[in-house]
Amino acid sequence: MMKVQIVLLIAVVLVGSLAAQTPGKTHKTAEGKPDFTGIYEWAKSTGDKCSCSATIFDKKSIGPLKAGGEPFFEKPTGDPRHDEPRDFCMPAGFPSGMLAAYAVQIFQSKTYFVLVHEFQRMTRIVPLDGRKHREDIEPSFYGDPIGHFEGDNLVIETTNFKRWTLDDHFYDNPNESRMHSDALRTIEHFRWKDPNTIAYTLTIDDPKIFAAPWSQEFSMKARPDWEANGIMEYECQENNRCAGGKCQGN
Amino acid sequence: MKNLILLSLLLAGLAATPLAQAHHSFAAEFDSTKPIKVTGVVTKLEWQNPHIWYFIDVKNADGTVTNWAFSGSSPIQLMRRGITKKVLAPGTVITVEGFRAKDGSNNGGGSKVTFEDGRSVFTTVADDPNAKN
Repeated sequence: MMKVQIVLLIAVVLVGSLAAQTPGKTHKTAEGKPDFTGIYEWAKSTGDKCSCSATIFDKKSIGPLKAGGEPFFEKPTGDPRHDEPRDFCMPAGFPSGMLAAYAVQIFQSKTYFVLVHEFQRMTRIVPLDGRKHREDIEPSFYGDPIGHFEGDNLVIETTNFKRWTLDDHFYDNPNESRMHSDALRTIEHFRWKDPNTIAYTLTIDDPKIFAAPWSQEFSMKARPDWEANGIMEYECQENNRCAGGKCQGN
Repeated sequence: MKNLILLSLLLAGLAATPLAQAHHSFAAEFDSTKPIKVTGVVTKLEWQNPHIWYFIDVKNADGTVTNWAFSGSSPIQLMRRGITKKVLAPGTVITVEGFRAKDGSNNGGGSKVTFEDGRSVFTTVADDPNAKN
């Protein structure tokens, strides 16, 4: 009997130890809220065989256009600053930059959820203290986010965007860009799908362009093995050989 | 040795149709109907954001030499797939498969790079058939 008790005790200690070592085993703050602190792979569209085009929304997810609404597609004008703003290292903005195939690091405190995206070092600072959206500030590429918890979900609502590219569709088809209007409101849900994966849902609510809100599901895989090196620097203008709309080495 | 093992894991399949990159538009700059395949010696490597550029001297049939410049993915994206700047060090003999610049200049979008010993890597990660993660 004594031997069985000892074996059981050892088993309990080992399991507890393994649980502590398993990446992402516990994801709660001291207040019992979901905690998303960590480093992750970029948001990948669930169900796709290859996430290579993760910077582009899935055509099947995009909702119907509003009749008579603002244009969703914009044609090139011949001005490279309009047609290829990224060649000038202009921001990808949100949500476009969120989908870029680079690492993401999240820092979370009681007051802020801070997401730093390796691509363009896009940084989104989301207050969690119940404040409302700011008033009388200029629209921006990344908008004005506020967050709150709903059970196991962190919900982030972002408003006050400039009209800008919705995603990188024009990389597949340079004859048109997909846009969002300045009325865009995004809703994001973050929740732990399993100890190593965040389920991320992004809802696009743009009443000037779309008939109704639509959503796409993504997953973000935790990469604790990337903690040692952290996220890398991305200085777009360091060696930008595409400024002016032409990419040339020679 | 570790790099060799990592590189050997990257399959040598045919370059897929170039997919989206995050900085500039492949389709606006390079012509996917004009593939190119050249062999030469790396003369320069710019391992910097937003895209790497590697330059190779290619001997032409008439004995002249043309320097070609190829762009690839960002250093970050390559690094996360185990490709470091060591693999494209100046002096390395490589065969580059890619697509010519639309303006006809000696520039291209580099895709698959094959080394003298038969190993290969994709310098544009979107073209890598193993980029399924």
